Amino acid sequence: MGSLGIAFFVLGVGMIASFFLYQRPDSIPLIPTGPVGHYFVAFTGCALIGWAGGLIGAARDPLSSRSVGTTTIFVLILMALIRMIAWLIGDYAGWLGDLSRTEATGLLVLALFLIWLKPTVAESRACAESAESEGATG
Amino acid sequence: MILRGLATLLVLGLLGLNMMMPTAKISARGPENLVRTDIDTSLAIGQSLPELELVDLEGRLFTREDLLGHRVLLTFERSVDW
Repeated sequence: MGSLGIAFFVLGVGMIASFFLYQRPDSIPLIPTGPVGHYFVAFTGCALIGWAGGLIGAARDPLSSRSVGTTTIFVLILMALIRMIAWLIGDYAGWLGDLSRTEATGLLVLALFLIWLKPTVAESRACAESAESEGATG
Repeated sequence: MILRGLATLLVLGLLGLNMMMPTAKISARGPENLVRTDIDTSLAIGQSLPELELVDLEGRLFTREDLLGHRVLLTFERSVDW
């Protein structure tokens, strides 16, 4: 989750940077969209940085941040679904080709990794209990 | 563990659906690929262009008269330029 958090942080900073770079006169946009698109790109970048903070925090203290992993899995699946629906609609497929389907595959594989890497409730409890007993004896 | 299994099944199902989409009937590129027999679009060589009013990407309206006297290649496409 920490690696994913760092990746989201870098992506978020990149999106905000692309918004500012786009504001220069006669600039060629890094992301092929207009002023409205860049407005939302910057917004998404800010949200990604916030999400990255949650993921990095959860990686450092997984026992007290279990819901971050669950929410991340849910959102990854939701993002994949939106890409699949966008491909089905057709307008986006005409523009992006199979990119949205490829992205959906990547997001679903990432979700699958997180589902199996995230500690279960029982594992978390056992870990918390052993930490407590270590604290009591130490 | 049950939730983990269900979530895995859901993701695997979506992965399968994503792989199948290009060949599935639901994703066949729709009515724009079909010949619209309900609309008379046939235009023979030498026949006059019918009256038309179209709006271009800049929002300017133009009519058949605007095209007269020029060599014109008229193409139509669905736009995703938002």
